[in-house]
Amino acid sequence: MTALPAETIETTAVQLRTWLATGMLAQAYPQVRGLLAGLDDAGLHRAGAVLARLDAGEVLAAHPSTPVVTIAVTGSCTVEPILAPLAAHLARHGFLLRTQVGAFGQYAVELADPHSELSRCAPDITLCLLDAHIVFDQLPTPWTVPEVIAVLEETSALVAQIAQAQHRPGTLVCTTVPLPAHWAAQLVDYRSRAALGAAWRRFNADLLDLGERPGMVILDLEPLICDTPRAYDPRVATYARVCFSDPLLHRLAREVGHLVCSVRGRTRKCLVLDLDGTLWGGVLAEDGVDGLEASGGYRGAAFQAFQRVVKQLGSQGALLAVCSKNDDAAVREALHAMPGLALAEDDFVAIVANWEHKPVNISRLAERLGIGVDSMVFVDDNPVERDMVRAELPEVAVIDIERAEPALHSERLLLDGWFATQEVTEEDLARTARYRAEGRRRHCRAGAGTGTDYLAQLHTTVELFRPSPADVARLAQLTQRTNRFNLTTQRLDGPAVRRMLGEAGTLVLAVRCADRFGAHGTTGAVFARWQGDVLDIENFLLSCRVLARGIESACLNAILSGAQRVGAVAVRGRYRPGARNQKVRELYRQHGFADRGMDASGTECYEHDLSRLPAPVSHISLTSDWPGL
Amino acid sequence: MSIDDFLTLVQAEVGLPLGAADLDTDFDDLVAWDSVHLLKLLTALEGSVGARLPVPQLLESRSLRQVHGVLVTR
Repeated sequence: MTALPAETIETTAVQLRTWLATGMLAQAYPQVRGLLAGLDDAGLHRAGAVLARLDAGEVLAAHPSTPVVTIAVTGSCTVEPILAPLAAHLARHGFLLRTQVGAFGQYAVELADPHSELSRCAPDITLCLLDAHIVFDQLPTPWTVPEVIAVLEETSALVAQIAQAQHRPGTLVCTTVPLPAHWAAQLVDYRSRAALGAAWRRFNADLLDLGERPGMVILDLEPLICDTPRAYDPRVATYARVCFSDPLLHRLAREVGHLVCSVRGRTRKCLVLDLDGTLWGGVLAEDGVDGLEASGGYRGAAFQAFQRVVKQLGSQGALLAVCSKNDDAAVREALHAMPGLALAEDDFVAIVANWEHKPVNISRLAERLGIGVDSMVFVDDNPVERDMVRAELPEVAVIDIERAEPALHSERLLLDGWFATQEVTEEDLARTARYRAEGRRRHCRAGAGTGTDYLAQLHTTVELFRPSPADVARLAQLTQRTNRFNLTTQRLDGPAVRRMLGEAGTLVLAVRCADRFGAHGTTGAVFARWQGDVLDIENFLLSCRVLARGIESACLNAILSGAQRVGAVAVRGRYRPGARNQKVRELYRQHGFADRGMDASGTECYEHDLSRLPAPVSHISLTSDWPGL
Repeated sequence: MSIDDFLTLVQAEVGLPLGAADLDTDFDDLVAWDSVHLLKLLTALEGSVGARLPVPQLLESRSLRQVHGVLVTR
């Protein structure tokens, strides 16, 4: 949430409306994302009103590579009011929204029927908005709590059935069902009110449990409602069956926007923090360590609460980094010596403290970590620094916080789920330590004579193995997070990976590697399919952490020789250009594959006839349980 | 609220480029208009006049000028 002036919000809306009126909006769509950056809900609300009118087909005709997200919306109430917020929140992340709205109140039928329009539009996400009418519409007047409980149980079973019968690809997203105050208030005794409240929460808890199922996400509205001043307006609910207020729909659309990011490989990876006024109060260079507010007093406690939130995010895979205008030694000393500071130097993968321009520091940091600047989130209390980063690195998500009120820092950071992911894997938990080991590797590299010496000194081991069901979440995450070494950028969710593991004629291999500085964990995958006696590699991907040391060559060699041993006559590979995978375009050619032209979808095809296998990579020791002859 | 201010606010809320000529057009004939827009207007109109508006009357309006009428005669 930001403090953009009202004129900026109005200018954005006017600009969008002018483009719409003059038929230019589709043409101008690539500029929309930049216009929306930093808008608050009011601004996004107005922008969404225009964007919801845009024909996705026109945008695609003008800009065929725009990433499209199809969302089918259904529910027990009028769902149209969420379309504008969805259009705005998707555009904000660079996506183009295509929607299909279900018939009023027909959610149960439409979700269960694989031939309904809702199912046939092949949605990436099906969003089902449920409200208290699903229960009270079925009750007589007067009603009793036991009657409510009986209907809740039936409804719970119905939703579970829908979840189970999920036949569509993509993710089914359901909301929990809020209970507006006027229902419980119609009961005059406290015991009945408590019984209704308890039964309602059990129902929502059962719903939330459905989120354990693959391909299903339940968005808990209760925390969002706590933050929304007017979540339910009886007038629009009565007259138009709109059971969620605009502010609540915006919160919900915001969540869906980040869910889409997580499915499409746009989850942010690194949280870059300023120090003075952001992580602690005061100015290190002027006040010294003893003069800073990091834990004690009113403001100190507020800063400490923020530090804890940062640490919490870091513990689940977000890489933490410092970018501060300070002297390096002073910052390290402060991180070490400051009493009560909830974060230590070890919690950060990088500390960049110098007097250089922050956008330059952030770009260098991204390069050093091997991630794109579009994977970074930047928090700074200084509006000048924020504006510079916004202007020079528009891909960075910039979070506005105010030095004067540190108690709002956490809320601002957490308003957007920049680090939202489908599932936290073991990799996430170990990520910071692994990136820190990378720092030690760099040190070793600087000390080694030549690149070859360095690679030899690393003692890299690679294990190419058939994944078990326990590896599914990590493999899905790899397809979603990996951008550079991702040959076809085909993103798979958990259910898709699981399907592929179980299908006949497929070959899925995972790549695990380690070296003398530590384990890298599962950092790569190969998805292939047998076409007769030809092995067709549909996708091959490796985490950027393990590039530039020949692991890809070792893996390809193992696949080629393995395929030969089981009687294959050729191995095919493909490359499909994505936003950031240009560096691997030559991969197959470099490994002896012959060019086989381009297919209709723009995918380049390659083939290796297995007549001459490449030489093994001498500095890597590879083991594999495939083909296991 | 003047009719011009009203029109500006309607444009912003529903995202439609509207002109004075559209004020008297029946909603059925107003291109791309739908009933959800009246509800969107409700919050914005109430915010700008600082008072609650009669929703049934708003919903029964057939044109933007009638909506404006509800606003000024409340």
